[in-house]
Amino acid sequence: MFIHNFKYAMKTMLKNKTTLIWTFLFPMALGTFMYFAFGDIFEKDAVFNAVPVAVVEVNENENLEAVIKELEKEGEEQLLKTTYLSEEEAKKAMDEEKVDGIIYIDAEVKLAVPTNPSSAYNTTILKAILDEYKRQEKMITDIATVNPSAVDDAIKNIQSEKIFYTEKITSNGNQDAYTNYFYAIFAMSCLFASFGSIEKIGKMQANVSALGMRRSLSPNSRFVTIVAEFLSILISQFVMEAIVLLYFTVLGVDFGSKYLQILGILFFGSCIGISIGIIIGSIPKLSENGKQGICIIIGMVLSIMADLVAVGIKYAIECNMPIINRINPAALIVDSFYALNIYDTYDRYIRNMATLGTMTVVLIVISALILRRNKYASV
Amino acid sequence: MNNAIEVKNLVKRYKEILALDHFSLQVEEGEIFGLLGPNGSGKTTTINCILSLLSFDKGEIKVFGKEMRPDSYDIKKDIGVVMQNVAVFDELTVYENVDYFCGLYIKDKETRKKYVKEAIEFVGLEDYTKFLPKKLSGGLLRRLNIACGIAHKPKLIFFDEPTVAVDPQSRNKILEGIKELNRNGATIVYTSHYMEEVEQLCSKILIMDGGKNVAIGTKEELKKMIKNTETITVEVADVDSINTEEIKELPHVYAIKKDEKKLIINCSGGKHNVVRVIDYFQDRNISIGSVYSEQPTLNDVFLEITGKELRD
Repeated sequence: MFIHNFKYAMKTMLKNKTTLIWTFLFPMALGTFMYFAFGDIFEKDAVFNAVPVAVVEVNENENLEAVIKELEKEGEEQLLKTTYLSEEEAKKAMDEEKVDGIIYIDAEVKLAVPTNPSSAYNTTILKAILDEYKRQEKMITDIATVNPSAVDDAIKNIQSEKIFYTEKITSNGNQDAYTNYFYAIFAMSCLFASFGSIEKIGKMQANVSALGMRRSLSPNSRFVTIVAEFLSILISQFVMEAIVLLYFTVLGVDFGSKYLQILGILFFGSCIGISIGIIIGSIPKLSENGKQGICIIIGMVLSIMADLVAVGIKYAIECNMPIINRINPAALIVDSFYALNIYDTYDRYIRNMATLGTMTVVLIVISALILRRNKYASV
Repeated sequence: MNNAIEVKNLVKRYKEILALDHFSLQVEEGEIFGLLGPNGSGKTTTINCILSLLSFDKGEIKVFGKEMRPDSYDIKKDIGVVMQNVAVFDELTVYENVDYFCGLYIKDKETRKKYVKEAIEFVGLEDYTKFLPKKLSGGLLRRLNIACGIAHKPKLIFFDEPTVAVDPQSRNKILEGIKELNRNGATIVYTSHYMEEVEQLCSKILIMDGGKNVAIGTKEELKKMIKNTETITVEVADVDSINTEEIKELPHVYAIKKDEKKLIINCSGGKHNVVRVIDYFQDRNISIGSVYSEQPTLNDVFLEITGKELRD
C-alpha cells in the first residue's frame, strides 16, 4: 500500500508544474539577483588593482617622493600606478578618467580627486594613503620638536612596521560573507518547502477538499499516506535544491569543497521545511489560505530570528535565550553552514543535523496522530 | 434480510442550526435506498455522519452490523462513495485516477488492473483513458468520479446527487449504471432532490425535510399516504363559465382549481375518473381541448406532507 501511495504521490508531485517551477524559481532568481547585485563588490575585495594616479611635482619633498616610490613598486603589494605629469596634463588626464586623482608633491602634500569619481573605491584608497602619510609626517615633526635624538629610531620603526599579530586560518572552508547570502537563500527555500506540503495535506483532509473526503474514506492508515506524501515532496525538493546548488556553482559562487555535507544540510533542511508544512496543514479547523498565511509568518519569523533578513537578532537571542537558536530550524540550517566552514570537526554540524532530523520525525508523528481519527464538525 | 445501515436517533447540530433531528433509518442489503429531500434537508449530512466523516451530537450508527468509526478499515473496504463534488487528481489521467483509488482498496496488481478496466468500461470512458480531467466535459467528469468510487467493487455504495449538472445522455448512463451495480449485488444509497430519478431507481424511499424523517416506504406506499390519486387537467376555452361546484359533485373528485384556460381536478381513489369528467363536458355541450391525467408524484407526496414544494 505504501508503494502504491508513494508512486502516485510522486506522479502528482512531478506533474504539478506550478509547484515545481516555484521551487526552482525562488532560489534561482534570488541567487541570480544577488550575484549580479553584489558579486562585483566581493570580486573587488579579492583582486586588487593598483590605483592609477597622476603625480605633479610642484616643489621638492624627499619624504613624500620616497613614499610614492615605495607604493608604485611593481609587484603584489603595488598600491599606486603613477604617471608624472604637469598640472595641466594631470587635470586633463583626470577629466578623461585616465587617473583617479592627482597627488601634488609640495612642502605640504595635496590630493585632488574628481567631483564625480568613476571609482569611489579608488579615491577612498588615495585619500587613506595620504591621510596616513600626513599622520606619520606629523608624528616625526612632533618627535623632532620634543626629542630630536629619537627621530632616527622613529623613522626606523615606521619603515620596519612590525605586525604584532599573526593570522591563523583554522579551516579550509569558505568564510566569505558573499557566500553566506547564498546559504541564507538555501535556508529560506528549505523552509518554504512547507507550502507544497500544506497543499498535499489539504488533499488528505475531508474538511478541506473533496479529494480529501474520498481519501479519508479509504481503508488506509493515515501514517502510511503521510509518509508517502512526505517522501515524494522530499525527493523532489531535495533534487531541486541540489540543482540550484549546481546552478550557483556554475554561476561562480564558491561553496568550498564540502559539497557532500552541504547536500546533507539541504536534505535535512528540506525535511524540516516539509514537516512544518505538514503539521500546519494538519490543523483541523483552518482554511488552506489560513494555513498558507501561518506558513509565511512562521517562515519569516524563523528567518528573521536566524539573521536571514537582518544581522544581529540571532546573536541577541544567543545571549539571552540560546535554547531558541537550538530549536529554530532556520538558525540550525544557517549554523550548520557556519559550522561546516569554520570548524574542521563535524560535531556541531552533526548535532544540528540530528536536531533537524529528530524534529522532523516528531512533527510527522504528531501530524499523523492529529489526522488519524479525525471526525470533523463540518465538511 | 440483514441491515446494511442502521441509524438511530441521530442528532447533529451546526452551532445553532439543527441539521439532523433524531433522525433514524434502516437500509437493507440489496436495496436501492433513496434519500429524497430539498436542498438543505440534511441528506448529505446524514451520509457524512454514516461515513464517520462528521461528528454528531447524539445517536447510533451501524454499518454491516458494526459501529462505524474513522478507523473502521474493515467496514470501509466494502464501501464506495460517489460524492456531489468531483474528487479526482487534476494531475493524473483518467486511468491513473481510477487506478489510484482502486489501489487504495485492492492490493493484488492483476485484480486491480481488471477492476480498473471494468470500471472504465462501466462508465463508458474507454476512449478517454489518457485524458486529464480538465480535458473532460462535465458529464464525462461525473462518470470518472463514479468510476473512482466504484472500481473496487464495494458492497455498499453511496451516491450523493451524482447527476447534478449532467447532460441527459450522461444522466441516463449513470442511472442505468446504478441499476446494474445493484443487480450485481451492491446496496445503494442514493440521495437526490430530483424526484424522477428517485422514483425511477429506488426500491425504498425516505423523504426528509428539516433534518427529520418525513415519510418512508416504496413509491407506491408513499403515494398511498396522500389523498390525491389522480390529477385530471382539462383545457377549456371559457374557464370562467364552468360551474366548478357541479364538477365537485362527480364521484371521487375532491378538489378543483381554475388556472387560466385549464381546469385542474383532483381525484381521490376510484377508476374511470377521466371518462366521467369528459362525459360531464359532453353532456353540457361544452367544448374542451386536450384532457390528460397524471398519477401523483413524489413531489405531490412531499407537498401534501410538508406543505411545500420539493424543489423550493
